[in-house]
Amino acid sequence: MKKIVLAAVAFGVTLGSANLLEEAVKLDVKKVCDVKTNGLEKVIGVAEKFNPEAIKLGVEFKRLGIRNREYIKYTKEAIKKKQKEAVIKYKEKGKEKSQTFPTDYAAWRACTFAIRALQQVKEAEETWRLAVPGDGFKF
Amino acid sequence: MKKIVIASVVGSIAFLNGANFNEEAEKDRKALIAYFEKKFADKKNAALYFPYTPKEELENNFRWGIKWEEFRLGSYAFNKTGRAQYEEMNEFPPYEDNIEAGKELYEKTKFKSGKSFKDCFPDPAIAGDYPKYIKGKGVVTLGGAINNCLVENGEKPWNMNKGKMADLQAYFAATSREKGKKINIVIDSKEAAEAYARGKKAYYSQRGYLKLSCATCHVQGAGQRVRNEYMSPLLGHVTHFPVYRLKWEALGTLERRVKGCNKDQGETPHKPGSQWMNELAYFMAYMSNGLPVDGPDIRK
Ligand code: HEC
Repeated sequence: MKKIVLAAVAFGVTLGSANLLEEAVKLDVKKVCDVKTNGLEKVIGVAEKFNPEAIKLGVEFKRLGIRNREYIKYTKEAIKKKQKEAVIKYKEKGKEKSQTFPTDYAAWRACTFAIRALQQVKEAEETWRLAVPGDGFKF
Repeated sequence: MKKIVIASVVGSIAFLNGANFNEEAEKDRKALIAYFEKKFADKKNAALYFPYTPKEELENNFRWGIKWEEFRLGSYAFNKTGRAQYEEMNEFPPYEDNIEAGKELYEKTKFKSGKSFKDCFPDPAIAGDYPKYIKGKGVVTLGGAINNCLVENGEKPWNMNKGKMADLQAYFAATSREKGKKINIVIDSKEAAEAYARGKKAYYSQRGYLKLSCATCHVQGAGQRVRNEYMSPLLGHVTHFPVYRLKWEALGTLERRVKGCNKDQGETPHKPGSQWMNELAYFMAYMSNGLPVDGPDIRK
């Protein structure tokens, strides 16, 4: 009995993460991450839902020194405090740094980054061999 | 009788499979060499392979007819002005002191256990033998092996990117070069072949918000320029590390360089020593199999 339960749990975990990837693939980034139609909370919620999976798969986006997890964390804070601007803190070569963005822009970015990272995993599945000389890449 | 025949057939199939764990990797390596030799064969094909490079640049600054062994010079294999600067820099190599420091570390470091690096690496001419697939450990790079040696002897692991790690690797590389060693990556089990395949997939998969794969720049893009730098070919990428980079003003390991490029792709960079990084390095190193070990070296 115990064994069966354990197996079911393990199965559930893999199923769960595969689902997140599959779910992300089906999303239309432009719609889901649109702050005007969905509101800030919802958009940052989407980012929060999908980014951990991107971290787990080793494909989290990073731009201008800022990891998407940092965009999410500090954008959420700004939303909570109803601030028009989000101050994103991050570390570069051990030094504390920060950059400021309009909150709705930061939420949109965090959301698109989280989803696009996962969608790209799927796209790469289909395309990576096309770049391998002697395989999909003819020269 | 029949049974014995069947058994021996099965046996020989198993043996054949056993001998061919590197079959895919060999095919990839040969195709990669063929591709780069063709791409840089002569300027008649240039418009096909370098559609964005100005004609006079291809005429004046490119060398053609580049053969397999020369690709380890990276962009200096084909870029004439870069090559001239490189040769000038190498007149007074800035890494000589690092080799000396590495030799000291190799000969004089005493571990808490009473042992030394010589116990882990009786022959220092091993730069071309890593990364290795080790059962139970997975892919181990030269840096990984050095850190395993330290940890197994009660010491703290070193930073994988620079400092002592780069110095000791410089000594290993220089000794390997002196003895005429070649890159000699082995794939001799199913698990090793799978690790290779994962490394290869990582290399060719687009990643980060810029949607670039390593291959975008170092296979298809090799010979083209970004930010005024010619991109070097994957073939020969691992032969000459650790590398003294003018930008770093110091010596750095292959892991350090790969981490920088991974970050430039717009992705949270993978850590040196991670499975991802080790397997990527395993794939990259196999592509350079048979080339002479030629480190340390200099790059911009
Ligand atoms: C946007 C293009 C780009 C991408 C993508 C890229 N690189 Fe690079 N890489 C460069 C440039 C530019 C240099 C410096 C010039 C050169 O190629 O030597 C460089 C240098 C290197 C070097 C040093 C070569 C030498 O001889 O010292 C290695 C190794 C390397 N890259 C590996 C990788 C790996 C592995 C990836 C994928 C994780 C990658 N690069 C992705 C542009 C790129």
